[in-house]
Amino acid sequence: MIIPFGHALAFAAALFVLGLTCVLLRRQIIMILIGVEIMLNAASLVFIAASAYWQQVDGQVFVILLMAITAAEVAVALAMVVYLWRRKRTLVADEFNGMHG
Amino acid sequence: MNESLLFLIPLLPLFCALINIVFGMRLPRLFAETMAIIGVAGAFVLTILLWGYAEGEGTRAVLFTWLNSGTVDISFALNFDRLAAPMTLMVTGVATLIHIYAVGYMHKEEDYARFFGLLNLFVFAMLAIILADNLLVLFLGWEGVGLCSYGLIGFWYQKVENARAGTKAFLVTRVGDVFLGIALLWLFALTGTLSISEINAQATSISPGVILALTLLLLLGACGKSAQMPLMTWLADAMAGPTPVSALIHAATMVTAGVYLLCRLFPLVSLSAVGMMAITAIGALTAIYAATCAMAQREIKRVLAYSTMSQVGYMFMAVGAGTVTGAMFHLLTHAFFKALLFMAAGCVIHLAGGENDIFKMGGLARRGPKELFWVFLAGAVCLAGLPLTGGFFSKDGILLALYTHPDPFYKVFWLIAILTALLTAFYTFRLVYLVFAGEWRGTGKPHAISLQMRWPLWPLALLGLAGGLLNLPAFVGGSEALHHWYGALAGRLVTVSHEVEWMLIALAVLIVALGWFAAHWRYRNYQAPLDNAAGRFLLNGWYMDALVDRALVRPFAAMARFCSSGLDRSLFDGTINGLARMVSAWGTLLVQLTTGRLTTYLSAFAWGFLILLGWLLLKLVNGGGQ
Amino acid sequence: MLAATLLCITRRNPVHAVIYLVTAFFALALMFYLLGAPLVAAWEVVVYAGAIMVLFLFIIMMLGLAPQEVPEGPGWQRWGPLVLLSSSMMACTLLLIFQDPLASKEIGDFYLAPQALGEALFSRYALAVEIVSFQLLFAAIGAYILGRPLPKGDN
Repeated sequence: MIIPFGHALAFAAALFVLGLTCVLLRRQIIMILIGVEIMLNAASLVFIAASAYWQQVDGQVFVILLMAITAAEVAVALAMVVYLWRRKRTLVADEFNGMHG
Repeated sequence: MNESLLFLIPLLPLFCALINIVFGMRLPRLFAETMAIIGVAGAFVLTILLWGYAEGEGTRAVLFTWLNSGTVDISFALNFDRLAAPMTLMVTGVATLIHIYAVGYMHKEEDYARFFGLLNLFVFAMLAIILADNLLVLFLGWEGVGLCSYGLIGFWYQKVENARAGTKAFLVTRVGDVFLGIALLWLFALTGTLSISEINAQATSISPGVILALTLLLLLGACGKSAQMPLMTWLADAMAGPTPVSALIHAATMVTAGVYLLCRLFPLVSLSAVGMMAITAIGALTAIYAATCAMAQREIKRVLAYSTMSQVGYMFMAVGAGTVTGAMFHLLTHAFFKALLFMAAGCVIHLAGGENDIFKMGGLARRGPKELFWVFLAGAVCLAGLPLTGGFFSKDGILLALYTHPDPFYKVFWLIAILTALLTAFYTFRLVYLVFAGEWRGTGKPHAISLQMRWPLWPLALLGLAGGLLNLPAFVGGSEALHHWYGALAGRLVTVSHEVEWMLIALAVLIVALGWFAAHWRYRNYQAPLDNAAGRFLLNGWYMDALVDRALVRPFAAMARFCSSGLDRSLFDGTINGLARMVSAWGTLLVQLTTGRLTTYLSAFAWGFLILLGWLLLKLVNGGGQ
Repeated sequence: MLAATLLCITRRNPVHAVIYLVTAFFALALMFYLLGAPLVAAWEVVVYAGAIMVLFLFIIMMLGLAPQEVPEGPGWQRWGPLVLLSSSMMACTLLLIFQDPLASKEIGDFYLAPQALGEALFSRYALAVEIVSFQLLFAAIGAYILGRPLPKGDN
């Protein structure tokens, strides 16, 4: 596909911002995690686009590794979500303010 | 004998003082007391033994170099000359007798180590003043007597009036010390030295205006210690101290230190005629002021305190009239009979059961030991100036000096002195009659008077009565021994025709008789004290205390209060506390950021990231714009 | 894809959000393929949409986070400044991207065969693969520990 590099970057940026908005907007921890997923995918898109531009393979390799890491991270994060649910029976992030000053 | 032995004269009391202060309470009481007496008695014996050093030009002995830097070379040196020797002898002798008296007087006192230590320390400081060769050692002694006076007046500090009296004495004399210090520094700047003999030698090279100023400064310094106007408010209240203290400090020694200072620097101060007149004026004013106040006092020691003030005024008049001999003669005789009177007053107070008010005494001639009445009477007639007593000759010498002064204005001072003599006779005999004559009006039980309190009175009585022999005037066949002893230091020689002398003597006799008669007529049979406005005016010392309080003390206290609460508390503390509160408030504001909530922190991330992006953009725009 | 993501982040029901996200991932996989990365595209679908999102759904269902009546969404006040934030961030980023001359270069035709990718992965990046496998192990252990039942009496 022949597109200017900038377009790809812009698209990834839009995706990233949407993910960030999701993180900041939603109060439930699950939704925050989903926002994080979106942001990670935006980063993957940038890598793929760069790999295509410079005609190298490294970008794609990195995306594969990124996906693996993400999987691990999601596993642990969701385990934590279960733990938090068991502690407080709610998943609203604002409730967990035990470290307030 | 080595001349360095001269240093033992002041150092022996100092040593005994230190022993008493450091170890006194741990030693047996008799040891501490004996130590104290040996301190002064030893100094007395040494003065006699080393008397030969005082003849001729005197002897100067240096102990060690005190300050030596650049042009300043001051050593701790003594000058045992003809002016210092008799004074030293008097101070140590009277001090010995008073120490013996004090042993008896204070035998119930628990805190004897502090008392005797301070007493000896005082004698050391006084000897430092007398024997000083340079003004710095003199100033050391000057301050030392002030300190010991404070400690001794406020000896029973547990009663707050006593402590306050001590503080008042210290502060008022301190004002005088400031002037003395200024004079000291000025003299050093002028002559480059603080040695008394050198200053006196260079005195003629100083300009008259400066000499006048220096004289006035020295006069004010002397006024502080000698309780002359305007610095006299402390002496009456100083009677709060024990009687031996009053006898030593406020009769014989500290109050005469001012006179001694002026006599020491006589070659300097005598160069200014206006200065001399100022000295005489102050002496005259104080003499009559104090005599009027003494007429109305109710406490026995206050009468004697005002009397001291008046007699020291006489000494100042003598110095101002130009005769050092006259001043020192009166100083010596006054020391004898005033110390005697104070100690006898202490016995009287004991007899009256601790009562101070003479209107509550009476008939003590019969109640107490006979000898007490006779010694008190001896002192009283000396004070009043009964002919042939020591007091008569010394006072007469001063009157003569005033009368024969070249400046006719001095006749005014002479008149004031005559009037004061009249008043002196009056209040003296008033005192005698109210205390000893008539019936016992008091209520207390007499305390015992121990032997140590009684026998020191006799030598003083003898010295007071016979003191005239020290300087018997020529026209009655005397040898004017003191005058010849002083030689060049004596000041103006007072010569007058025989007729004038006899006339003056007759006048003096008349005065004494008038005074006695007036007192006899009024007080022989007891009269209650007059309680009118005039009486109260005199009783309160012409309300000088109130004046000083209103004019000086209250504004000063107000300023201090302003500085403390207005400036210090409100301004400085307020500023610092305000700063602290401001920082604390900021902290409270900032704390609101730490909510512990995840969303808050994430938002912080996002906003920070935005700022970063914005900054990058700006950099780009600026970079691109160039 | 953007539409799908937008819908995803504004859903109140988390299950709906996950479904929309899966849709978005499918679109993203298609984009990957068009940019010359078929293997990555396949894995995007299999791993991301297939495993991770399924895991999300699993947790949501297990904890009962999507009851019949939908929970309350974010309020208006949070919405406003955030839109401002994201739009300004978007604007900044766009400006930054397009001022660089690199942005106007064209991506050429590119197609990476899976074989080439596999060769690179296991030759040059073998160490990274090993480490990531460790990481997966740690994650599994961590998840197990976190998932243990709470001790009695613990708040």
